[in-house]
Amino acid sequence: MDMPIKPPHVSAYRHAHPTTEPAAGSAAAGELVGQLTHEDVDRARDRWQVARARLKERSSRLFGGFGVLWLLIGPGVLVFLGENDAPSMLSYSATGARFGIGFFVPFVILTFLVGFVVQEMTVRLGAVTHRGHAELIFDRFGRFWGFFAMSDLVLGNFLTLVTEFIGVRAGLGFFGIRPDIAVGGSLLIVLAAIATGRYWTWERITMGLAIFNGLFVPAALLAHPDWHAVGHALLTWTPLPTGSHYDILVLILADVGATVTPWMLFFQQSAVVDKGMQPRDIKAGRFDTMLGVILASAFAIAAILATTPLFHHGISAGDFQGAQFAEALEPWIGHIGASLFALGIFEAGIVAAITISTSSAYAFGEVLQTGHSLNRPIREAWPFYLTLLGSASTAAALVLIPRFPLEFVVLTVNVIAVLAMPPALAFLLLLVNDREVMGEYVNGTWANIAGVAVTILLVIAGIGFGLATVFPKWLGG
Amino acid sequence: MAGRVNGACARRENICAENRNSRRNGEAPIPNERELAAETAEQLNLKDPGVVLSLLEADQVVAAKRQSRFGPRELSVGIRILLWGLRIYVVVMLVLVAISVFRAVGAAH
Repeated sequence: MDMPIKPPHVSAYRHAHPTTEPAAGSAAAGELVGQLTHEDVDRARDRWQVARARLKERSSRLFGGFGVLWLLIGPGVLVFLGENDAPSMLSYSATGARFGIGFFVPFVILTFLVGFVVQEMTVRLGAVTHRGHAELIFDRFGRFWGFFAMSDLVLGNFLTLVTEFIGVRAGLGFFGIRPDIAVGGSLLIVLAAIATGRYWTWERITMGLAIFNGLFVPAALLAHPDWHAVGHALLTWTPLPTGSHYDILVLILADVGATVTPWMLFFQQSAVVDKGMQPRDIKAGRFDTMLGVILASAFAIAAILATTPLFHHGISAGDFQGAQFAEALEPWIGHIGASLFALGIFEAGIVAAITISTSSAYAFGEVLQTGHSLNRPIREAWPFYLTLLGSASTAAALVLIPRFPLEFVVLTVNVIAVLAMPPALAFLLLLVNDREVMGEYVNGTWANIAGVAVTILLVIAGIGFGLATVFPKWLGG
Repeated sequence: MAGRVNGACARRENICAENRNSRRNGEAPIPNERELAAETAEQLNLKDPGVVLSLLEADQVVAAKRQSRFGPRELSVGIRILLWGLRIYVVVMLVLVAISVFRAVGAAH
């Protein structure tokens, strides 16, 4: 069964939108029989599990539906909990420490809802075309634009990966673990997750790790937040942040960059394809994405609430990294609370290191047209696994270099993510409105209005940042 | 078709009715007999290529994807202007980010 597939040979460009007919009934079925790969077989096994769960759903609507959802959740939860990464959680922590409970609590929820609008489009793209985001951009826009999109992704992903290992180092540093052991151990976890050679197992292991993002919730409860103030902030978006307008703008950009970034588009679409989702699974994909939004926004707000004691006691957290936040919080949330916070930062770093390096590997595999699936054994897709481990290892190694400007990277990463987002959104919107690609699954009017509005807002925010950088006195920077 | 098929025909009516509803919502394709048989089999024999192909969509098989790709789309003047505008925006912004970070790092030291 695991016969090597033929060398890349494009026999025809397809201009009609993809067919959703079973492969067994297609004209090429006879030819495909001899070319099935390990990836196809694993994916068929996953599809069979889903089909069986659907049969149970028909006999028991209450619990059967849960079985289908359990099988189909994954990419959406992972993309949002993966994006609650070390720099994002530090951005939320800095927000709580700087401004307390107020405008930023509902604002963070809004950014996650924006994230849902955008990520839902990738679910449809992946389920309908069975192609990754990078592959579609190269196919439809050509190599010139494809390489531009990839350069944004590569730069953003690599810088973000470095910050994940900074988070790992800082989180475990709270417990006195040496940086080389912390970073080396984390690399082993990344290796263990991919060594299974099975998308399904990788997804479940990573989701199991990702749920520990919830450690910020008990840390927040130990900070005894003022729930009345939280309710007031959610309803009125006040009190508004005060102080340097430049600092506020950077924090707004960092919080937006903590929820909508280019790697998320590439990752979720490729994960949907690797999971084998089909158009009939789009509803479940939406549920998965919304579940990710709910969990991630709850944990993000928990990080804000956990650090509000620093705001109330007037402690400046401007230059804090992960472990310093935990140490500073210890007098108010206790050693257990501070430990949970530090573990949360470690978890955020390790899960994002797994998902972001996988996102890079998917994109490279799609562009190079080599095997790019976690269902492939290493011998069949070594460039894919090499990219994954290579990017993670290089980022990890940089963190261990003495006097490497870590501060530089942390400051930059979320802002770059926001600035690189408008072109990524433009490609996404063009693809998801492309009837030759999507057929009847093209965007509706409201999705387009929301997508264009988000793109324009991100451009305006970016231009505001640019003006504030060139003319800092305008915003009191 | 390998694998024991259990109750596929009995369930077919329900499945088809559900698919008609789903298609109305623009979601699910209609499975054919072969696909239904594979999906409802109690045991799965993935050594049979027919079973594998029955469970996957035509466009989902790796070899099929390689042989048939989406062709390049026509880029209108408007789209070219949009893409170039956003590209220039990103480059300018990256320069500004570099300036602001050097300032911040310089101020910190």
